[in-house]
Amino acid sequence: MKNKQNMSQAEFQAREDKIEQVNNRLNRPIIAVAYLFGALIIALIAYILHFMIVDKDEVIANAANSRLDSFAADVVRGDIVTKDGKVIATNNGDERYYPYGDLFAHAAGFSKYTKAGIELVGNYYLLESHAGTAEKVFHTLRDEQNPGDTVVSTIDYDLQKTAYDALGDADGAVVMMAPDTGKILAMVSKPDFDPNDIDAVWEEANSEDSTSSVLLNRATQGLYPPGSTFKILTTLAFMRQHPLKFKKYHYNCSSDEQVFNSVTVHCYGNKLHGDQDLSDALANSCNKAYADIGTQLNLGKWKDMLESFLYNKDLPYTGASATSRFYLDKDSNSGYVPQTAFGQGDTLVTPLHNAMIVASIANGGLMMKPYMIDSVENYKGKRVKKFSPSSYDTLLTSDEAETLTKYMRKVVTDGTAADYFAGAEYKAAGKTGTAEYADGDHDFSWFVGFSDIDNPEVCVSIVVEESDVNGVKASAIARKMFDEYYKQ
Amino acid sequence: MQLNKQIVYVFLIHFLAYLTFSIQSQEDMTPIIAFYGLQTIVATLYLYLYHCVYTYSNRIITNNMCFLLLIGYIMLTRLNFSLARKQFVIATASLLLVSVIPYIMDKYKNLRKYGVVYGIMGIIGLCSVFVIGVEKYGSVNWISIAGISIQPSEFVKILFVFFIASMLSKKRDFKQVMITAVLSGIHMAVLVLEKDLGGALIFFVVFVFMIYTGTEKFRYFLLFNAGGLAAAGMAFLLFKDKLFNHVFVRVSAWRDPWSDISGTGYQITQSLFAIGSGGYFGSGLTKGSPDVVPVSESDFIFSAISEEFGVIFALMLILVCFSCFLCFTGIAMKVRHRFYKTMALGFSICYIFQTFLSIGGVTKFIPSTGVTIPLVSYGGSSVLSSLIMFSILQGISTIENKEAKKVEEERIKYEEQAEYESGGVSGKRG
Repeated sequence: MKNKQNMSQAEFQAREDKIEQVNNRLNRPIIAVAYLFGALIIALIAYILHFMIVDKDEVIANAANSRLDSFAADVVRGDIVTKDGKVIATNNGDERYYPYGDLFAHAAGFSKYTKAGIELVGNYYLLESHAGTAEKVFHTLRDEQNPGDTVVSTIDYDLQKTAYDALGDADGAVVMMAPDTGKILAMVSKPDFDPNDIDAVWEEANSEDSTSSVLLNRATQGLYPPGSTFKILTTLAFMRQHPLKFKKYHYNCSSDEQVFNSVTVHCYGNKLHGDQDLSDALANSCNKAYADIGTQLNLGKWKDMLESFLYNKDLPYTGASATSRFYLDKDSNSGYVPQTAFGQGDTLVTPLHNAMIVASIANGGLMMKPYMIDSVENYKGKRVKKFSPSSYDTLLTSDEAETLTKYMRKVVTDGTAADYFAGAEYKAAGKTGTAEYADGDHDFSWFVGFSDIDNPEVCVSIVVEESDVNGVKASAIARKMFDEYYKQ
Repeated sequence: MQLNKQIVYVFLIHFLAYLTFSIQSQEDMTPIIAFYGLQTIVATLYLYLYHCVYTYSNRIITNNMCFLLLIGYIMLTRLNFSLARKQFVIATASLLLVSVIPYIMDKYKNLRKYGVVYGIMGIIGLCSVFVIGVEKYGSVNWISIAGISIQPSEFVKILFVFFIASMLSKKRDFKQVMITAVLSGIHMAVLVLEKDLGGALIFFVVFVFMIYTGTEKFRYFLLFNAGGLAAAGMAFLLFKDKLFNHVFVRVSAWRDPWSDISGTGYQITQSLFAIGSGGYFGSGLTKGSPDVVPVSESDFIFSAISEEFGVIFALMLILVCFSCFLCFTGIAMKVRHRFYKTMALGFSICYIFQTFLSIGGVTKFIPSTGVTIPLVSYGGSSVLSSLIMFSILQGISTIENKEAKKVEEERIKYEEQAEYESGGVSGKRG
């Protein structure tokens, strides 16, 4: 390189241009990298905004968020009302007051000691206040609490009352849902309690030698053997695994006892059903036919299908719920298969889960997430938030849903539920069940189903404990529920 | 002038925050007022003197640096006063220490010559934890000297950037790149053995981007990304249970923290509760409960800031960090020496990627890696190493600004000369 002093201006300019050129070339990858990280930061900001706009409310409404309690100091807990405007939880001085007592014990829940029901899932909204800004400033300055928002439930008072009365003194659970939205219209669990006496109930339930389970919401947390209601999913498994064979399926139910995989099977009440195709087998709830079907199922695929229907999975439900169980897998002893196929064995299901399964059949295969809060209003009744239905997943094809609907319709017209639905003005479909615990003491009576088959608006899942003792039949409750629904 | 105004706003926020503390404080508020006074004095003196001494330094960077440090002090005072004081002492000492860096860099231009030496020093530094290491948060990446805990990887990070920049400023042929890659790989392997996977990831990202910008060859970028993936896959297969258990836990806590709110998902769900409950405008300083988020003073300080100052403020904080990054890349683009150019880019990546990992982790955008936000989070090693990074970039900026001025002067000289000569010619004609 030339000495600087001896450079001419042209040479100097040429040197500078050259350096500039090289520098520009070297900067090209740097610009690319800067853009890349710029995009990364924009994505991060977009994500945080998305969280704030879409997910925030649900996240902070979580019962584990201890910050909610600190909101309570500034806000008077809001009311809970049914969809038809009946106040089911409010305040009486400093105490929480439940005007209908036992009727909404499990649905509305309680908020003292711990929280349950809508008091739990709606906690955040009950502690928010959308009173006017001026009003809020006024209250804050005077050190007064703001009025909390009102949570409007999806529960319908009349349907809840019908379910409550129909269950009578029997223990068990009734869930009624709208299959196309997932809205829970009624939820009753017995035994129940008066939430106004929560002090005594809590003490009793938590005393050392207590065996009381009144605080357990059987509708969402009670695990029952599904009994013959399970045959719906066994039927579906068979349809999927033998798509060509299932329409031609036949079983001749002609002897009292039959041995499958070295297990002896007989039908309920030792009935003989004669020649059964698949729809007859479901309509008449023929155990032997289902034991036979069970032996033809691939256990691995069967389990996969059941898990797609949320067995062994947490339900997409914000309240407390138990996980339904299906124990068989591809390595299981074949001796367990026959009983499991018709709903005995170790399988366990919650009434809410069973409602979701029939709801997805009623809804053409799409399972909706169940929910209990329809909207939130400020204390003056102005709506501040509306919850919209959200779907979980499409679990059946529309063909499968149609076929199962046809079969389940036959249960109601010609099968085990026919007596209960005689003369009904709507076309219901469903499946009955009678389940026994392994010790075989008492029966559980089940009914799951929906109505009507042409325009499914509503579905039920009902279980009654010790139905052989108290004489309350799930199918009879279902009839009353549907009748009440169509009366409106 | 604009930048003077900017720093006034920073001091205003700082003043209001400490005013809030004094009003809310139940106890004697003299220590808080004294603490506020000290911070203000140090920050003002620093800003004033720094620009007197280094007239060519970048004012936006010093402003941003002050903002980030002061926000950190505010949040730490809120969370834990004694930690805040410790942080202030460390940061002030560090500021004094690092203020000589631009001078040293200007004076000693042969820093670029040590190539492999930086690499080997780095590896030794990282290995020191095997000899005098202590375990913290499931990783063995701290050493303890005379009762002070130091995280060597924070400082090796700086040597590492020097190392790659120096190697690539000499030669950029295949052999040189491979030597660089092997030594860099050893750095990362040591970090993986220390179970500091977040650290290893930062080193890796810095490495691939420096190689790409330093050699201008995109194929190296692809090659080393593929190599990195393969190495990660192999390490995974070889040491599945030994090294990656806490990675599994973190990834599953990221995918679904809600299924184990009281266990593995605790940190992240608490962090989201904090951010969400604070809302857009925040609960107000001292009105939230960021203290229920574990390690809210360091890894999770973003959630604490977001809860009390609001999400809008928190997003602005991200933009301030991004502004630092843009200043750094701006320096990288202006500077003409390859060594400084590659180095400036390396530090830019190092800074922004670490910020991204930290904030992305606590907002559940990506799995949590336990990385701090430079200058904001509590942590002596982190603050010192971040300040060193900032100062080195100031140093590069100073060198480049001086150079540019020299060139400019030369240009003027030539132009004057040319004018004179042409003037002479026209005079003859006349």
